[in-house]
Amino acid sequence: MRELVILCVEDEPEVRTVLVRDLEPFARAARIEEMTDAAEAREVIATLATAGDQVGLVLCDHRLPGLRGVDFLVELQADPRTRAAKKVLVTGQAGLDDTIRALNEARIDHYIAKPWAVRDLQRIVRALLTDFVIEHADDLLPYVRVLDGERILEALSDRLDD
Amino acid sequence: MTRTRLVGLVAAPVVFVLPLVADVPGLGVAGERMLAIFLVALVLWVTEAFPLHATAMLIIGLQVALVSEQAVVALPGGTELPHFSAFYQALAHPIIVLLLGGFFLADGAAKYRLTRNFARLLLGPLGGSPRLLVLGVMAVTALFSMFMSNTATSATMIAVVLAVTATLPPEHRLRVALPVSVPVAANVGGLGTPIGSPPSAIALANLAEAGVRLAFVEWMLLTMPFVLLTLVLGWVVIIALFPPGPARVEVPIEVSFDRSGKAWFFYAVFVITVLLWLSEPVHGVESTIVGFLPVPVLLAAGVFTLDDVAGLRWNVLWLVAGGLALSTGVAATGLDAWLLGLVGWHTLPALLLVLLLGVVALGFSTVISNSATANLLVPLGLSLAASPAVAAEPLAVAVIIAAGCSMAMILPVSTPPNAIAYATGALRIKDLATVGGITALVGLTAMTVLGLQVWSTLGVLP
Repeated sequence: MRELVILCVEDEPEVRTVLVRDLEPFARAARIEEMTDAAEAREVIATLATAGDQVGLVLCDHRLPGLRGVDFLVELQADPRTRAAKKVLVTGQAGLDDTIRALNEARIDHYIAKPWAVRDLQRIVRALLTDFVIEHADDLLPYVRVLDGERILEALSDRLDD
Repeated sequence: MTRTRLVGLVAAPVVFVLPLVADVPGLGVAGERMLAIFLVALVLWVTEAFPLHATAMLIIGLQVALVSEQAVVALPGGTELPHFSAFYQALAHPIIVLLLGGFFLADGAAKYRLTRNFARLLLGPLGGSPRLLVLGVMAVTALFSMFMSNTATSATMIAVVLAVTATLPPEHRLRVALPVSVPVAANVGGLGTPIGSPPSAIALANLAEAGVRLAFVEWMLLTMPFVLLTLVLGWVVIIALFPPGPARVEVPIEVSFDRSGKAWFFYAVFVITVLLWLSEPVHGVESTIVGFLPVPVLLAAGVFTLDDVAGLRWNVLWLVAGGLALSTGVAATGLDAWLLGLVGWHTLPALLLVLLLGVVALGFSTVISNSATANLLVPLGLSLAASPAVAAEPLAVAVIIAAGCSMAMILPVSTPPNAIAYATGALRIKDLATVGGITALVGLTAMTVLGLQVWSTLGVLP
């Protein structure tokens, strides 16, 4: 089966550790991949595409070494392999222009300000991953327990027949 | 592609060609062609090499092309066959129209969240007694699945149930008892009305073709005693296996009925249609005529939009229609008599034969689609009942096969309701197999042994 993957792009090791720890409840639904910058993320995306896995969600810091977060998200929006993925900008330091560009060109699905509250982050990730699997996953059954069960059950009843 | 599908794709052409090239003793050319089509249907429905509805459409197409009066490959002179339109007519069979009306009501109920709210309203007061809560969940689930698809009912009820179990400690027995009760009740409940699930509709349609026309309530009288019996039995088994203890549990009672004008209009149409179905003996208007009522009314009122129409489960209607067309062809070509002649049925006592049909239906529908099983078995069962060698009551045969198809609740893959319950992660395969297996087998046996007696007491036997 195609595996669902969450990408976490964050250069600061401490912040990345906290982010991955806060995403732990979703590890049963998706594999969590960590990376430090856009260049590394591109490699991971290429590997995933070869393996046939699906990027469902990208959580991306803005202030990254090399390409900035917003520009990288714009790039992902243009890439057919990642266009469908839900995109979240996680930052404390994006200016107005960058934020506007993130909305209009990267079509980000959410903006999370640092520092985040665990509950908020998990609520947002649960909602976005649920949207993604309802729109794109072949089999919804494995997600009933981990994501928004009620919405997934509703989608299931539209897909399955007696 | 799975191995099963691959087997289907390879086997289908082989079983299709064999009866056409080999001379089958006892069958004419039309019968041989129909045998080829029947075998293709069997292989494709069992392996699901094509989607079920695709196979159904293929069957209609093949019959028009090969065994109709206008067959594109000519038949020997003197062969009496139906006009090709007889096969297309299956698509608009009165039972298909009845199901369509049922789908309008069911989809409307989902759209206005009628079932979800109703479930919470009914279950709210039962938190004080966990045992009664399980029974309540089963009763509400069965009631809904009498009018909606078993799958949609299960999805709604599992969502309601998950909201209850989320508040319970990890070891609480209700965490298993409630999710396992939903598919049992949804599967059994589908048997309760002609529109409850496709096997019921298929049984009713084939009975009508065999000259036994049943009113909506007559079908209910046939099945409901056993639906209730099976539900209570299932409840007893669940409570025995997972005794929940007496402590009160919280049932979220947040209920918000849609009070918009369109919602009220829909509620009214729903109630009127159901009341007209139930009162057929009083006014005499057939259920298949009443069943069309919601269609123009909800469309004209704008309650049902074009998107809603596109979202209807047309594939289910087509699957049932394919089965009805198949039974037309099987009867018209004499294939039914030939198939039944392969087995010495008369050596079996009638009662055992009826039970056997139910168990075969149960076995098939445990591994393949309930509707496909009913499509294949109901026409054969009814031909068997009509043959002079066997003294079986057609009603009993049709109902028991529908029951066997509807009680496939042993494996998670048997029907979507089982799969949905299993997906909650609360049950082990063993739990479902134990509860579902005991309930189905005892329920079917009770129906076989007591059926004729109960039905003649209720006055539903002709």
